[in-house]
Amino acid sequence: MRYPAVAIGAAGLVAWPWAAPPYFVFLASLVVVNAIVAIGLNLLSGYTNQLSFGHAGFLAVGAYTAAIVATRWPGVPVVVALLAAALGAALVGLLLGVPCLRLEGLYLAMATLAFGFVVVEAIVNLEWLTRGNDGLRVPTARLGPWALATDTARYYLAVLVGAAMVWAALNLVRTRTGRALLAIRESEIAAQASGVHLAKYKTLAFVISALYTGVAGGLFAFVVGFLSPDAFDVFLSVDFVAMIIVGGLGSVPGSVAGAAVLTVLNDSLAGFQNYRPLLFGALLIASMLFMPGGIASAVRRLKGG
Amino acid sequence: MRSRWALLPVALAVLAAAPARAEQGVTDAEVVLGCSNSFSGPLAFSGEQATKFGVDLYVRAVNDAGGVLGRKVRTVYYDDGYKPQEAVANTKKLVEQDGVFAIIAPQGTPPVLATLEYLEANKVPLLFPFQGSPITRARRYVFGGMTLYDRQSRMMIEYLVGQRKYRKLAALYQDDEYGKSFRAAFEKDLGRHGLKLVAAESVKRGVTDVSAPIAKLHAARPEVLFLVLTPGPGAQALRERQKIGWTEAVMVSSGPLTDERYLALAADAAEGVEGLSLWPDPLASDLPGVRLYRERMKRYFPGNEPNRYSLSGYFAAMLFAEGAKRAGRSLTREGLVVALEGIRDFESGILPPVTIGRDHETQKQGFWVRVEKRRFTPLTDWLKSE
Repeated sequence: MRYPAVAIGAAGLVAWPWAAPPYFVFLASLVVVNAIVAIGLNLLSGYTNQLSFGHAGFLAVGAYTAAIVATRWPGVPVVVALLAAALGAALVGLLLGVPCLRLEGLYLAMATLAFGFVVVEAIVNLEWLTRGNDGLRVPTARLGPWALATDTARYYLAVLVGAAMVWAALNLVRTRTGRALLAIRESEIAAQASGVHLAKYKTLAFVISALYTGVAGGLFAFVVGFLSPDAFDVFLSVDFVAMIIVGGLGSVPGSVAGAAVLTVLNDSLAGFQNYRPLLFGALLIASMLFMPGGIASAVRRLKGG
Repeated sequence: MRSRWALLPVALAVLAAAPARAEQGVTDAEVVLGCSNSFSGPLAFSGEQATKFGVDLYVRAVNDAGGVLGRKVRTVYYDDGYKPQEAVANTKKLVEQDGVFAIIAPQGTPPVLATLEYLEANKVPLLFPFQGSPITRARRYVFGGMTLYDRQSRMMIEYLVGQRKYRKLAALYQDDEYGKSFRAAFEKDLGRHGLKLVAAESVKRGVTDVSAPIAKLHAARPEVLFLVLTPGPGAQALRERQKIGWTEAVMVSSGPLTDERYLALAADAAEGVEGLSLWPDPLASDLPGVRLYRERMKRYFPGNEPNRYSLSGYFAAMLFAEGAKRAGRSLTREGLVVALEGIRDFESGILPPVTIGRDHETQKQGFWVRVEKRRFTPLTDWLKSE
């Protein structure tokens, strides 16, 4: 029952560039990027109940790391650049995660919010590395002899990486680590009493979440082809939170669905960004009122009858 | 039977010619233009004015008069809020989904830079972007939309050092492509006169407190201080030097800064400030093209005050129409590029006669102004940089 569904989904993803108009291939790559961020954020917020309003910061760290690696060492395989992005962001996640252990709820949200601003300031000021406000052109992603110079090539890269990240997340949540994170969400005291090392697992959640977002950042850099600090503002972090709320807290497929809905919605509002916060806000309220578990639980309920 | 076969070569010829004729964004009835611009964010005012009240003003006037060689012009705009990644997405959307013929009048160096490679690779003309960094030079499908910063610097130095005989010049500039392009050009142009900047201070974009750099620059006692800033910080700098009683130096604003907003923000602190103006006064100029622009503004957008951003967009659309007319009824992108390159002494009634050559620079001039009773008063005729 499950395998046919996966096979149909995979066939759809492979066929997409041949079926869809060219612009939608690029848009689909952006959906994948956002889906990976949403999964990462969901592991932290949905599974472990640690709020973050700073994921645009991790995305920026990943994006700039990949771009700088690809610029400094021309011809480096895109896989290496993405790994560097993942490790760079994970390291920053560790550095942020440790001091944030003592913070809860609103205070944690404020600390992560500040983190987002700090990253943008750092990018603006580290001009020798990031070219500051002028922005950084990202070289074409390379994989051995191939240059991924078209939207279609970059789409397949994004889909492959995205599939691997989804698979890893689905497995992770079924392991001891995943159970530990869920236990922390339900009750920190109960989790600790059952032998879950709180500090260790909370830090781990931060690191894994940052790692996911770092990979997404690397893909973002190659898909868009140009980076500037303006891209990574606080509204982007809020968009990520909106994605997992609309999609469903604590659900990997929900993260993907939420990312798809918000990315496409954002794109269809390209003519009037001013109405964006209004519409996103309304969507958030509506989904919390009528669909508290997000798209994921709505689908589950429909299936359950 | 014979006559039917005789038609075959004709049919084949028509089929063969069809792909060449069907240029994206052009039909018998219309031609589609568009851009990604700032309708939110720091440059929202200039973005909206340049497109919806500038390009569209000329387009409405032209369409009411029958269009360009019978084709109505239609425009599509998307908002990027000055974010390059949104500009990339919007531009792809315009080219691949809306099928625009050309991009017209986008704004700001980072968003324009982010889309440059893509447009060039897809051979989509990028017409008259509102930015002056020399990044747009030497590209087949790109035509500049502002007197480039190195040309502005050259004119400013030639006038101030060559004619007014100032020797001690300093600069306060924004720490990005815009400011740094100017600073490098100032150093180079002063070098030709055996001079150097006596002091130079930079500020971050969107800075609100400029007291420290102003104090440092004051200590260097320059005769001239260049302000290469945006309206907010520019006005802030003028108020700060008024506060510390710094009156002996001439404050000189760069071309992009010399606008009505900066003037309004600085209020009486702007009195006596000089600058390079890239456009004739949109409210007061008697030039025939500017008068017509004001009349049309009153007719089509009666609530909207004339300003130099809408004037620049209006001029961009006018230049496109001239190029499209020269390219003829079988309008193609290649044809437009060649036609624009061939423009000689085009009278716009707004700027001096426009000649575009192989360098694709549509503007190479500015004139000197001084603020007197909250208005820009011209001190010179058009200065040229050839």
